[in-house]
Amino acid sequence: MSIPADLKYTQEHEWVRIEDDVATCGISDHAQEALGDIVFVELPEIGRVVAAGEAYAVVESVKAVSDVYASVAGEVIEINEALESEPEKVNTDPYGGGWIAKIKMSGDTVELLDEAAYTTFLEE
Amino acid sequence: MSDLTTENLQKTPLHAEHIALGGKMVPFAGFSMPVQYTNGALKEYTVVRGGGAGLFDISHMGQVRVCGAEALAFLQFVTTNDVSKLSDGQVQYSALLNAQGTFIDDITTYKISANEYYLCINAANRHKDVAHLQTQAVRFDAQVIDESDDTTLLALQGKTAQQALQTLSDADLEGIGYYKFAQIKINDADTIVSRTGYTGEDGFEIYLPNSAAVEVWKQLLDLGAQAIGLAARDMLRTEMGYALYGHEISDAVTPVEAKLMWITKLDKGGFIGKTTVEARKNSGPEKRLIALKLSERGIPREHYKVFVDGAESGEITSGMHSPIAGGIALAYVKPEHAAQGDLSVQIRGKLVSAERTTTPFVRSRVRK
Repeated sequence: MSIPADLKYTQEHEWVRIEDDVATCGISDHAQEALGDIVFVELPEIGRVVAAGEAYAVVESVKAVSDVYASVAGEVIEINEALESEPEKVNTDPYGGGWIAKIKMSGDTVELLDEAAYTTFLEE
Repeated sequence: MSDLTTENLQKTPLHAEHIALGGKMVPFAGFSMPVQYTNGALKEYTVVRGGGAGLFDISHMGQVRVCGAEALAFLQFVTTNDVSKLSDGQVQYSALLNAQGTFIDDITTYKISANEYYLCINAANRHKDVAHLQTQAVRFDAQVIDESDDTTLLALQGKTAQQALQTLSDADLEGIGYYKFAQIKINDADTIVSRTGYTGEDGFEIYLPNSAAVEVWKQLLDLGAQAIGLAARDMLRTEMGYALYGHEISDAVTPVEAKLMWITKLDKGGFIGKTTVEARKNSGPEKRLIALKLSERGIPREHYKVFVDGAESGEITSGMHSPIAGGIALAYVKPEHAAQGDLSVQIRGKLVSAERTTTPFVRSRVRK
């Protein structure tokens, strides 16, 4: 189970990398493993304004449909279009090629956990 | 809570093998069954479609032996297909209907001899089926014996299935044709081996005594077969457009709606449900099963609504993302929409356009 130290996590198993006012978002290694083979990703539209905690993307595995919640509030400024043809990147590289969207932050976030807190959360 | 539920689940004789292989166990029809193993459903699917051999534990399914001087007359009365057409060693896809003409179950009927037949029934319907069969058998010289608890059922499916299984038996598997079976020895166990399956690939279903299950399972894995869980099994069957009880068929539909009149022989004499099916056939079905394929990206899933010309017409019974065919589904729609009108599927509130297609969605490679 990989939990990189330079990222923040949420209790909904998303990760976020905050650089200046832009948050790159995806789902955690734990989430992709629990979901199984991802076969479809529905990306948000560029320009969409999301609230912290709002469902803004969908990942579908062989058996299940799961919402992905925005860790931060803001405007979607970039999406990972490669996932439309290669959704399996969410499984194989959840923190790299499996990123879902970049959100220009407007301030609000859900509770963000650091590596240690997320590890504890997973253990509980 | 969940612990209690888990304890109440039945285990197949291969339960420990599934755990050892990293099987992710889920409750299914009262059993604890592997939904997938460590490699995941997609890789398992690829083994079976891609020229390998997949090994499935389907011991949750039930087996019923029917014996007696009136076994044939009994089965003609309780099943929809024409059992008199079966030769010894032949298998037939069929169904049990209730008096309303709707499905109690879909089954396969094996003819062992004039006075002995063997039925394979769905796990979830086992007790209901057996009770129904035993009630109906009272009027016939026929005994209905539930052998489910003593029987392990394996499916070995894929291009190299025969090669692997042949290693374990002196019997001539090549001589077993499609929907035929033989009673053969595997190791020292008496088994029934039929060239049947639920995947659209060549392969076998193997009925064996529980005592022989673990050894045969391990031998087949050693011969290169790979264990396949329920998720990949459902992908493979959906790509073939095969009906699954609780999805395409149930006690809410007759064979007329389910496109299963080909196993319902109205000219064979009386059988349970015949009158209603005949009437339904004449009056026309309430809905019709169709096959569809999304024209855009997306996954059509069970219970999603199907729209025709912008108005709701029905819903999906089975749907999936096929690595080969894309977003595919079986759905019930209003009869007037079975062949005409612009189709779409409602996915998360949006209408995604679709087109009608035929089954199988993916080319079948069963040996006919």
